[in-house]
Amino acid sequence: MDHPIRVSSSERNHKKSDKDMAVEKISDVEFGEVLPAFTPDTSLENVKKFVSAAGWDSPRFTDHEAAKEQGLPAALVPGIMSQGFLSAMIHHWAPNAEIKMIDTVFRAPCLVDDQYNINGVVTDIDTEKGSVEIDLTVTNSANETRVFGTANILI
Amino acid sequence: MTGQDSIDVESLREEFLGQVFDEYVFSLDADQLAQYAQSCGETASKFTDPNDPDFQAPPTIASSFNPRKAYPDNFPSFQGLGMDAGKSVHLEKPMRAGEQITAKTSMHDIYTKSGRSGRMVFFVNRMTMVDSQGVVLGSSDTSVVIREKPQEE
Repeated sequence: MDHPIRVSSSERNHKKSDKDMAVEKISDVEFGEVLPAFTPDTSLENVKKFVSAAGWDSPRFTDHEAAKEQGLPAALVPGIMSQGFLSAMIHHWAPNAEIKMIDTVFRAPCLVDDQYNINGVVTDIDTEKGSVEIDLTVTNSANETRVFGTANILI
Repeated sequence: MTGQDSIDVESLREEFLGQVFDEYVFSLDADQLAQYAQSCGETASKFTDPNDPDFQAPPTIASSFNPRKAYPDNFPSFQGLGMDAGKSVHLEKPMRAGEQITAKTSMHDIYTKSGRSGRMVFFVNRMTMVDSQGVVLGSSDTSVVIREKPQEE
């Protein structure tokens, strides 16, 4: 029986840069592939919409001045919203992807109305299982990582 | 316990790991699910349109579920700043609007990491979601870290 293709992150090579077609099957995925970057909507209006839907409404997410009174630099984008941005990025790249696991570490806060990039890199492909592992980051305009993690998806 | 005592991780593990300390039943609202997905930037109609025949909750929705109790009864309180250290979601089946979901939360893990600024203790709560037939839909882990003050010699 053939063994599935599994490649380690140390073997990472960098990918085709001009890929803009959606991934539909496991053979479309390349090791080391960088997922199309995604700039999320972190406006106060959109964060209010999110926390209302999530049942997480709090001034620390929806009011810059109230957040500052709590010692924060500004209103925060909830960590779970960053996780949602990462999930959306995966679906933009592979619309049929089924996310089986997404694990995120909130290293530093993301601030409402600041600009962030949502990034992903393919680090493992198992063609037999149809699974792909993706390293995830949320970076700010200074390219500092605010959130990082991994996802495991089925295609 | 005072701020100078170190947390007895082994005894906490023995007493509390695996103990389900919170359970409740709920259902998800279609419009709220669509709003959650849209605000995160999802564009597929199966996440954004409640009329889509395959309409389902976005995969990370379980991260937003909170247990009614944060810790088991009789769990000690600790001095120090507790911080949200991360969220992890495992999915078995999509969650759907209107279905009855039972969420059970247990203390899944307690572990330590040591650094230059002292020891950090991580508490991991796991919420497991099952449908009305008892089929597991997925689970969500929430990690909280407490940084201990270094022990004085």
